[in-house]
Order: sequence, then C-alpha cells, then structure tokens
Amino acid sequence: MKTRIILATLATTLLAAAPAHARIKLVALPERARVVVALSNPSATLVEEERILTLTKGVNKVDFSWRGVNIDASSIQVRMLSHPADVKLLNTSYPPNENALIWEIASPVAQEERVRISYLLNGIGRDIAYRAVAEPDEKSLTLRNYLRLNNASGEDLTDAELSIGYGAPFKKSIAHEEILEMLSERIEKLPIRKVLRWDAAQQPWDPEYEKKTVGIPLNYIIKNDVASKLGTHTLLPGKVRIFIKTRDQAAGEGEAAGEGVAFTGEDWGQLTPVDREMRLYIGQSREVKVTQRKMKDDRVDRTIRRNLQNQVVMWDTDEIFKIEIENFKKTPVDIVLVEHITGYWKMKESSHKYEKKDAFTIEYALTLPAESKGTNKTTISFNLEHLNVQGNEPANY
Amino acid sequence: MNTPRSTSLDGMPNAQCPMPNGGGPGISHPPSRHVGPMRPIRPIGHWSLVIGHLGLCVAALLTLLLTHTASARINVVTLPGRDTVQLTIYNSADLTLVKETRVLTFRKGVNKLEFSWANTLIDPTSVEFRALTHAEDVDVLDASFPPRVTNTLEWRIKSEFAGEVKVEIRYFTSGISWAADYVAEANKLEKLMALAGSVRINNNSGEDYEQAQVRLVVGVIRLVENIADLANAGRPGQRPPPPPGAPMPAALTAVPRAGLMRGMALAETAAASRPREVIKEELGEYFLYTVEGRDTIPTGWGKRLPSFRAADVPITSYYKFEKERWGDAVMRYYKFTNSVPSKLGKEPLPDGSVKAFRTVTDDNLYAFVGSTSVKYIPIGEFVEMELGADQEVLVKPRLMDWQKTDIKFGNNGNVAGWTIKQTWEFELQNSKEIEVVLDIRRNFAGDWTLVTQQANEKVDATKVKFVIPLKPREKKTFTYELTTRHGTNATK
Repeated sequence: MKTRIILATLATTLLAAAPAHARIKLVALPERARVVVALSNPSATLVEEERILTLTKGVNKVDFSWRGVNIDASSIQVRMLSHPADVKLLNTSYPPNENALIWEIASPVAQEERVRISYLLNGIGRDIAYRAVAEPDEKSLTLRNYLRLNNASGEDLTDAELSIGYGAPFKKSIAHEEILEMLSERIEKLPIRKVLRWDAAQQPWDPEYEKKTVGIPLNYIIKNDVASKLGTHTLLPGKVRIFIKTRDQAAGEGEAAGEGVAFTGEDWGQLTPVDREMRLYIGQSREVKVTQRKMKDDRVDRTIRRNLQNQVVMWDTDEIFKIEIENFKKTPVDIVLVEHITGYWKMKESSHKYEKKDAFTIEYALTLPAESKGTNKTTISFNLEHLNVQGNEPANY
Repeated sequence: MNTPRSTSLDGMPNAQCPMPNGGGPGISHPPSRHVGPMRPIRPIGHWSLVIGHLGLCVAALLTLLLTHTASARINVVTLPGRDTVQLTIYNSADLTLVKETRVLTFRKGVNKLEFSWANTLIDPTSVEFRALTHAEDVDVLDASFPPRVTNTLEWRIKSEFAGEVKVEIRYFTSGISWAADYVAEANKLEKLMALAGSVRINNNSGEDYEQAQVRLVVGVIRLVENIADLANAGRPGQRPPPPPGAPMPAALTAVPRAGLMRGMALAETAAASRPREVIKEELGEYFLYTVEGRDTIPTGWGKRLPSFRAADVPITSYYKFEKERWGDAVMRYYKFTNSVPSKLGKEPLPDGSVKAFRTVTDDNLYAFVGSTSVKYIPIGEFVEMELGADQEVLVKPRLMDWQKTDIKFGNNGNVAGWTIKQTWEFELQNSKEIEVVLDIRRNFAGDWTLVTQQANEKVDATKVKFVIPLKPREKKTFTYELTTRHGTNATK
C-alpha cells in the first residue's frame, strides 16, 4: 500500500499572489529519509520521520496532509535538523475540512533542510506475548518476549526503526493491515520460584466435604531483577504461555528424539517494573491437600461485658486453628498459606513461624517434604485471641 | 453558503454584496476601495456604498432624506473595503471584538448607512459606529433594525461635513477562538526542559478577516448572554430580566476596554524571515497578546503561531499519591515555576494543552510522555503538569497493626468511648533510572494524632503531606502511628 502521508513544498511565488485559502499543492514530494516509531508509551504511538526539504530563499510553504491515516493533528511538530538556528518555522495553518496543515518555513538561503516531523499515530496495536519453557525441575525457564504489532493505522511503515523503550531499536517494515510478530528479548535459564498459594478466604477448608479434588493455585514467580538476568527495564503486560520440557522424548513420526515440551498453562502477566515480581497463576496442583479446622472458638468469660439490659457489648476470644497439609508429590513443594484475621487480635502461640503481611493477614511459608502424607503430614496450629470484640471489627482498610 | 445582500429602505432586496472576480464562497479577495463601473443599487433618491464581501455587507445607503423625492440624482457607487481590521479574541468566552475602519463619503445632512451581515455570527446588539475623522461633525442620530429583515441595521447619521470620513465599526462576533498549546521537551534525566508555547486561532465565524491585526486576551470575562445566541437571533430581542440579587446585566463586565484600545501602533508587517513576535502587555486583571504584523484567517481555517520558547527550564520529576483522589495509582507530574530564575516568568501562561516529550537519544529522538492540560499560571506561580499514572513508582501503604483500646462504658453499660491505634507502613519504590520526588498525602478525620519519624507537613486540619525524594532504583519504607479517639474519648 502506498504511503498516505503527503508532504509537499509549495511554490511561494504562486501563493503570494493567490488567496490564502486557495489550495494549490504538489510541487515536490520529498521521500522519507528515516522513520522512527516509538512504542514506549503504552497508550500512544509516536512516529518521527525525517525528510529532506529543498527550500528556496525566503518563505516556503510546506504542505503536510494525510488521508486515511489517523493522526492526532494537534500533535504534529516539525523540527529543523540541518540548520536549526537559521531555518525557522513561522506559523502553521489548518485548512478547513482537510487532514492537512501548511507550515511557513523561512530560510535565509536556498538550501536543503533535513526536518524531523513527529506526530501521534493511532491504530498501531501492540501486544507483548511471552513464551516460557520451564526446565523439568521448574527452577528456571527460558523466556522469550515477542512484540506483536498490528498496523491498522492506514500508513505503511517502511524500514521503520521500532523502539519499545528498552534495548536497541530494530528496523522493520510493516504495511497497513499487516500483523508482525518479532522476538524482542530472549533470556536463558531465568530463575523462577514455583509456589502453591492456599488462601483461607478462597479455598475450602475441608476437602472431605468437596465433591471434587480441591486444586491449589500454582504460581510461577519471576523477579524482574539482575539476579534473575532481568532488571534492565519494566516488563510490559502480556499473555505468558508456559511450557515445560519433557525428557527423553522418543523419536516419533517426523520428529527427532530428544526434548519436547508440554503446555502447562498461561496467565496475563502484569506490568512489572524493575525489582518487582511478576506472579503468574498458571494452574492448580491437586497433589497437595490442605485441611483447615477451627478447633476452639470461645468467648473468655471474665472478659464479657454486659450493659444494663444484660446484653453482651464486648468480649475477648480464645481461638485455635489447625492446618494439616499433605504432599503426595515425590518432590518437595513450596507452599504459602494465607490467613485473614479481622479486628484487634494477638497471637498467643504458633507452631510455625509466620509473617504478618498486614494488620489482618498472616502468611505461613513452608516447604513440604516429598511425600509428606498420612502420619508424615505437616501440621500447623496457632492460638490467637481477639480483644475488645464488639462484632463490628474491620477486615480491611 | 453565504448569501450576502444589502436591503433597500423599503425592505426589498435590491443588491448583492459583490463577489469580486466571480469568486465563490471560501475564496477571499483583497478588498478594493474603488470598483467601477457599477450599476446603481437604487435609482432614485439614493447613492449607495456596498462594502465588503462574503457574509458581511456594509451597504451604506447614504440618503439625503430631505430630498427624498422622485427627482433623479447622480448615483455614485464606490466599494470601500476595510482599511484595517483588528480582532481581539477572548479565550474564556466565545467572543471576539472586531474593529474595522473604512472610509465613507458623506453628504451634508442626514445620511443612511445600512450594515448587514448574513451567515456570520455577529451580535446585532453590539454593533457600534463612530467617526474617526470629522467626529465633531458626524453624529449618529439613531440605529434601526428594519422590520421583516434580519441581520441588518441602518444608522441615520447626521453630517455637517461633506466628503470622506474615516469611520470605525465595532462589533462582537462569536466563532473565532484561540487557545494556547505547549510542547514540553524534557531532557533524559528529567531535570531540564525546553518549553515552547504557541497560540492557535480558529475562525469559524463565517467571515474572512483579511490582513487583520490579531490580539488575544488572556483572562476571564463575564457574559450574561452568549454571543452566539445573540447572533443567531439576528435582531436584538427582549432580554430576560435578571434574577433578584443578580449583578446589573451587562454584555461584559470588567472588560478593560480602554486598555484594549492600546497597543494599536504596532508594526504593520513583520519581517517575513523570522517568526513573528507575540507582544504581551498587562491590562488590569488581563493580559493582552498582540501578534506582530497582520494575518489573514479565512473562515474555516486555523492558524498556529509560535508565542515563546524557553530552554533549560528546571523541572522536578514529581509524583503524587493520594488514595482518595487516585486510588492506588501514583500520578506523574513535571513541576516547574513560571519565574525568571526558571527561564520563564515574563508573562503568565494561559491555560492550554500540553504535549510532553522526553528526549531519549543523543540525536534527540522523542519518547512521548503524555498529553495534559495546564491551568492559567500567573508569573511566579509553580506549575504542575499532570502526565498520568506511572507504575514505575510504587507507593504501597499497608496497615500493619490495628488495636482498639481505652474502652469507656457509659451509664447504661454500653461502649461509650474507644481509641483506635493504627500502625501504617509505606513501601516506596522507584524503578526508574532517574531521581524522583514523591508527594504522599493522607487524610484523617475526627480527633487524631500522628506520630512518625518521617518529616511531614500538616496541610490542614485533616491532611498531612510527606515529601520524600527517591534516588534511581531506590526502595524505602516509613511508618507512622495514627491514633484516633472516638465517642467520649474524642476531645475535639
């Protein structure tokens, strides 16, 4: 498809005598000398193109028009590159009912001027797609980032330098209505953490009462830092598809023996700035079983306060929880158990170390030994008290 | 399409405003003062002037009423164009004051001058006439809006002088607007920026204004009626009475009219090889920008003119967090001062739109930072350009502890007073490669006290501000303890 952006220098002498709004065009059509497409802003595409104008001495009129291209007219700028001190933009005129503008550019002598025209172009869709292949031990993976551009801008971008805000720009051509996918980054042996996350507010407490085996959400955690061979730029949001290497794949029809892959799940990766974690929920594990029960839930007699109508208005509690965890896998498993505790409370006793994430949330992070089931299961218990309870305690802020 | 016409005294259409050289709508032509030969517009008792083109006609039916008989007269038709046009365009209202001068030839006695306009947006209640030369000899007796005719008025002008008189016609029109826009170009470290301001004028008034001096008013004026409504009415109508207690109705309040008349004697033509200067002057509560030289802005067209450019303006990459305003988002700003030490400060900056870029390569390629609007910024005021949410700066407040203590019971045994103690921890993280400054605001209601090691400023009775700089890639935390007293525990 031909370019739809037209740049024309107009003969000054013709226009000097013509009425200001007679539209005479097409004297010269300078080709683009360079096109740079900046995709660093997720909500806008900035195009900068350089063209060489042949200017006459005096005032030159340069017509910039576009048709079938969705340009934000208010964003169009022109900058002089060859002689910025001498060649001046005098003004910009906007003709009615046209996608066009006319620059008046003054040049002290007849000369060529390289100009950079920048504008925001709508219709360039961009997706980031991640494809990861995890090692069989699920401790590291190979991550490929693909940039997928969908050019519905109406404009053919030929030999454009594409910049996504990090790394070196790469030169590509992408025609109108073309979708182009390109590998933008590849990281080998990127360390990951695989963690099961059981949340007491979301998971059933007693699997025995469930008709189906309870699956525990499985997360891969990628940290965007130098230690993880990342940390140079923000990871953009996009779909992450995760495969896992399968060992010793037998030779099949048309397929060589060796490593194959199996798909293990996908998630939307959130925008992840440097030094933060991308958490990917890729599926559920049914090899780990968590059973939680509240073993004690008492009001403490001596703390009960009544009003003159003999109604209880305040009390303290004594509560004991027990969590039993079984790992049926032949490998150890990392799991995080999330407990939500409302109001004013104090922990009296806990069998395991926990981390207080906020006023109303604690987490137990533990590694379950391989095949720790039956009598070898892991048991957590904790005893807490709620204080000054009125029945209207906040669960979050 | 414009359908200009002039109208005879008895209301019969009798002449078209000329469309010189056969030009159609949308084509303007340089005005000429004398065109001939031309047919008399009305054969008896009149000589006429037909002025203008396109939508706006000034048909000067200079009639000797005293000889309003059937006697044949010599009819002289001339075509005086506008000698000068001045547009004073307001940005706070759809209002432009047009001032044009023309030279008319009067006879002694009472002359009739017809002023008509079609397909334009002129406020008929605003049209004024005055003689600039021989003013003591030329008096406007009255102005009449003829029956059954719209967009026309007739002045009866008594002249003690016969000959050429330079007159000024002044009126309001809607449909011409101007707006400021800016390009902010921050350097890579976001410590300095170049700020370029432009003014853009759009003419949708239906009238071409050729070789007009353009003046732009920065300021807020009051209008009790929209000029466009008045224009669409075509004729002065009955105004609604003002509600009780309302200020005295006036088309404009506090328009610095005397001031607007100043600054006329500017250069007629700017040097063609340089951008024209936009001269700024202060007028009471307003600023007047006068664009050097003359401009032709045909109807339908817009024009953008550079207004100023300042390089190396110091900026702060400033980030704000206030949960009540933006939820969990951290908002990004460029902060600078409109002052001389900041390479600005020569004039207030009119409210307008901003496109912000950051140069990211040695050859000054841009990254688009965002577009926003700025408020009107007086000289000396600091400026915050809001550039949208930025996820690369994290502010994560977490309530780490919550206690309900100091319980008091009332006479009926119910809980009457209590105190809540909260411990908050703020996780701050700058994932950028540049320094940033964080502005975190917290709002507290009721009887509260705050204890923290972190420097802060009490903005008002319910708001506290923490300003915390972060180095590139820096992480920080700070905490505070908030105590709020409720019921009978509250002391204020």
